[in-house]
Amino acid sequence: MHPATLRRNNVKVFGKGTQPMLFAHGFGCDQHMWRFVTPAFENDYRIVLFDYVGSGKSDLAAYDAERYALLEGYTQDVLDICYELDLHDVIFVGHSVSCMVGVLAANREPELFERLVMIGPSPRYINDAPDYVGGFERADIEGLLEMMEKNYIGWANFLAPAIMKNPDRPELTGELEASFCSTDPIIAKRFAEATFFADNRADLPAVLVPSLIMQCSDDMIAPNAVGDYLSRELPGSTLHTLKATGHCPHMSHPDETIAVMREYLRSPVAAPHAEQRAG
Amino acid sequence: MTRHDGDAIDPLLDGEPCGFISFLDDGSVRVANQTLANMLGREREEIIGKHVEGILTVGSRIFYQTHFFPLLRLHGHADEIFLLLRAKSGEDIAVLANAIRRERDGEWITDAVLLRLVERRKFEDALLEAKRAAELATVELKHQRKIAEDANRAKSAFLAMMSHELRTPLNAIGGYVQLIEMGVHGPVNDAQREALGRVTRSQQHLLRLINDLLNLARIESGRIDYDLQAISLDEVVQATIPMIEPQLAARGLRYELNVPPDLRAQADREKVEQILLNLLSNASKFTPAGGCVSIEAEIAIDSDEMVELRVRDTGVGIPKNRLEQIFEPFVQVENSRAARVEGSGLGLSISREMARGMGGDILAESAVGVGSTFEIRLRRG
Repeated sequence: MHPATLRRNNVKVFGKGTQPMLFAHGFGCDQHMWRFVTPAFENDYRIVLFDYVGSGKSDLAAYDAERYALLEGYTQDVLDICYELDLHDVIFVGHSVSCMVGVLAANREPELFERLVMIGPSPRYINDAPDYVGGFERADIEGLLEMMEKNYIGWANFLAPAIMKNPDRPELTGELEASFCSTDPIIAKRFAEATFFADNRADLPAVLVPSLIMQCSDDMIAPNAVGDYLSRELPGSTLHTLKATGHCPHMSHPDETIAVMREYLRSPVAAPHAEQRAG
Repeated sequence: MTRHDGDAIDPLLDGEPCGFISFLDDGSVRVANQTLANMLGREREEIIGKHVEGILTVGSRIFYQTHFFPLLRLHGHADEIFLLLRAKSGEDIAVLANAIRRERDGEWITDAVLLRLVERRKFEDALLEAKRAAELATVELKHQRKIAEDANRAKSAFLAMMSHELRTPLNAIGGYVQLIEMGVHGPVNDAQREALGRVTRSQQHLLRLINDLLNLARIESGRIDYDLQAISLDEVVQATIPMIEPQLAARGLRYELNVPPDLRAQADREKVEQILLNLLSNASKFTPAGGCVSIEAEIAIDSDEMVELRVRDTGVGIPKNRLEQIFEPFVQVENSRAARVEGSGLGLSISREMARGMGGDILAESAVGVGSTFEIRLRRG
């Protein structure tokens, strides 16, 4: 259906199992971020890794500013990969912004997904007074955009053209790997805006796929209040608060992350809206 | 004050002119030097043991979580990262961070050096501002260019139409004059014949002018097709000479040829002949009797992919400051010693446009009182 999808999204498939675990990276990263946890699941699952268009080693020529201005565009990447690989009973593992991409994908094709594993999810990053605490004000996000602009001037503007013009010089690609996972400052900025200006609260009650919310302790990007909100609004969700601090427990505390995921995957599926699914 | 063993700070580090901080993967700060504490206006104890995010602005905290930490974790180092620190006073301090993550005493520790960037930040802000302004200017420029191009196209279309409209009655004038001269409408006496001759000459002059205008309009509106082939420059010259010979002889001018027989250009033969004829006609018009016009050709000195066909005269010459202008439409260089010479002033403009249309160009060199050289550059065939 989409023969170019696998190349476009730099899809990697490995592992000895049959049930697919689809790992979706967060903003600012690429599929490399999963390398501390995937070995633990390789023997039992079919691991699918990918880079969103605009990140990692995806095909930048496929980047469409309009499509990727909203999370729906990233959701389409996920669904395209599912269609192309004919994935079913997918365990979707998302980090950060990808958790909401998982929600949107599950709402569009609930039959494709068995469970959603969400690491550091947030349905909305910006506070919505008086009732919703996302953790940020709009000005904070502007501050992030400034930070990105400054840093990408140095790295991306310098490196990207050199790499694109020298595909035969792998040492330059090595330098890319040592830099940020998205090299194009405009693409990275759009991804940041799509992420931090999104509001997916209204999508939560419709989710038919059971989910695990992995809430970090002391995560400034997704504070505890957000985890609580999600566990209230997301049908069939299980909230687990990690001892791990920060926003990237799969990188900072992979052992605990793996253990919690394993435990959840062993537990029976708590089907939300059981009556709706049956009906 | 409690500290881990081995965390005792080197006094040298304290006096360094840059901030230094060590923290664990969970963000908790182990070491901070005095320079960093001074930068932030805090006591060292307010930093150590807390999360490293505590010294960052909110934007920088997000950046730390989404970029800085993943870089450290995936690659073991992060180089030249721009960050904003938040001082106790609330002031933002721009720093450049270099960090390494490594195992020490069974723990993964990141050591980071923070260099203040006061002036550099101003410079970068100005750079970014200039970039934005340049982007805006580019958009505006594109818009202006489109308006100008539209206007130019309209002008060319108008010229083309007017030229056609003018040619029709002029041709009618020429035809009827010819009929009268032939005596179709009765006998013609000498005085009438002379008058008719003047009418014919004026009619032909006007027709040439209008044809030139039409050509220019066609070139400007991009409606000229070029039939590019490998052509012999010698053949082009041999075909052109008979057309100009009578004019040269009438003005008492000699001519010399130096064109290698095997030199070829990738060009439209008819257009090259037209250009050459125009240059030769100019040379003959502006060279006083007894002078010489020479035609030479060779492979370009600066590129063996180009050939040069030159027309050199010993004429009145063109002042340096007018040399570029002569290629503008309707320009003739006025010269006190030469009477104003007949012509529309479009010849060189058209010639150059045509040469460029074939991937070449026309260049001119001149010295007043010595002579001029016009060089047609063409792709080698």
